[in-house]
Amino acid sequence: MSEFEREEQIKTDLEKHFKGSVSNALVQRKNRVWAEVETAKLPEVAAWLRAAGFEYLATVTGFDEGENLGAFYHITDTHVIINLKVKTPRSNPAIPSVLAVYPGALSYERELEDMFGIKIGGLPPGRRYPLPDDFPTDQYPLRKDWKFVQPAEEKEAK
Amino acid sequence: MSKITIPFGPQHVALKEPENFMLVLEGEQIQGATVNLGYNHRGMEKAAEERTYLQDLYLIERVCGICSHSHTTCYITNVEELAKAETPKRALAIRTLVAELERVHSHLLWLGVAGYEMGFETLFMYTWRDREQVLDCLELLSGNRVHYSINTIGGVRRDISAEQKTEVMKRIDYLVERTNYYIKLATEEPTIYARTSKVGMLPPEEALRRNAVGPTARASGIARDVRKDDPYLIYNELDFKVITHNTNDVFGRLVVRALELVESYKIIKQVLNNLPEGPIAVKVPMRIAPGEAVNHYEAPRGEDIHYLKSNGTDKPERLKVRAPTLANLQSVQYMLEGGWMADVPLVIAAIDPCMSCTDRAVVWDPKKGKKQTYGWEELRKMAIERYKRRGVDFSRLG
Repeated sequence: MSEFEREEQIKTDLEKHFKGSVSNALVQRKNRVWAEVETAKLPEVAAWLRAAGFEYLATVTGFDEGENLGAFYHITDTHVIINLKVKTPRSNPAIPSVLAVYPGALSYERELEDMFGIKIGGLPPGRRYPLPDDFPTDQYPLRKDWKFVQPAEEKEAK
Repeated sequence: MSKITIPFGPQHVALKEPENFMLVLEGEQIQGATVNLGYNHRGMEKAAEERTYLQDLYLIERVCGICSHSHTTCYITNVEELAKAETPKRALAIRTLVAELERVHSHLLWLGVAGYEMGFETLFMYTWRDREQVLDCLELLSGNRVHYSINTIGGVRRDISAEQKTEVMKRIDYLVERTNYYIKLATEEPTIYARTSKVGMLPPEEALRRNAVGPTARASGIARDVRKDDPYLIYNELDFKVITHNTNDVFGRLVVRALELVESYKIIKQVLNNLPEGPIAVKVPMRIAPGEAVNHYEAPRGEDIHYLKSNGTDKPERLKVRAPTLANLQSVQYMLEGGWMADVPLVIAAIDPCMSCTDRAVVWDPKKGKKQTYGWEELRKMAIERYKRRGVDFSRLG
């Protein structure tokens, strides 16, 4: 596909530099590249991308696929968005932090901890985000098996 | 001098929305600041998974009271990409038009807030009066002032007539004239310069390191605008400039927003004068084939990014929304450090954090076909009644 020369180039470079750690790389359309990265290699890949001009971590999207939890790291140079997918087992979910590369990642990573219960290795201590301080720490609302139960007092009010 | 830590918010007279800054002060100077968020979390991403694509459109519109069109357009671009829908050109043009009207309304609102925070209340009165003109345009085109709901999956809900075009043009001409006055004011008025210059400094390398977006980044000299970098809607056919400024302070953010208004007027006129002919919407099936899409959008405050995953049903598997304020708050922390206590409200307001307010509501009863307008007193009475039923009595508060 020569019409997406730049995207193809990024894809090939990623696969070449991180042989064996990057899989399922795909140029979806103009300006969109997807790739799956080995979880432990994430900070390394992020650092390499940042050095290659991809200076913005736009956001991090957590997901629940049943057996695996994980996250997409949407990294961009404002033109091309690279979506890095990392997976981690549900029984012991953990992803290393990319804070050293992208300082703006703090709130996105805290969100992964709060909403999915994914342990982020290397996250500095601090207040939780976005859930309130008194929210139970063993409940992760964005996991698929979590269901909203309406509090009793709200039911009565209806 | 010993250091003291004071909480600023979540409820504070100088903040319009709930967020908390823990400020470490040495005298009047700020030595450190941490931002705490989450007071306004409404669980929309979870709620979106339980609703259909069309219902989500109206949910997503309520992410923000000001960038309502930004969020729906970003969301709908994802839905249409996954559904492989060919949105008609005319619909895209109308979306662009509403997007720019929204930018004008948001920037005028911000100019007023900035004026208010720097103690220049006349500017606040002026810009908010002029903002009514653009809100009238939006009401004329969509029927609503704030949540326009012009988008629908596959196109837009309403077409634009020749009379509407003339009306909008008339108001834009007035606004161009007023904006020239504001630009003169922003760049030549010595008190504005004295109050905003060298306040809330954010050098370009920090803006880049902390991933600042929108006018906040552009005022630090970073030419970053999704409309130019990764054009969506019909922006690749339009003639406009990306405004940057190199003073890295609140003054720069003021100038960038004022000049961006002029670019928005240019875009509005281009779109209205070259509206493509044709239908305004296509039919899109309720169920959407499995897939993933990511799209970003230049909202008035900066880059908005949405991720959407479909699973073949009529409800999304996962929707992620990142609004620009979250990206910019990391920079606010830097801007506050080393600054003065008295600058805090101005610095925070300068990134244009999201807020919405409304003091009137119209209830439409489709069964009776009756329209009733509630004023502040009635709404207050209804709220007191509601809480009384839940066992809390507020009536003694007067």
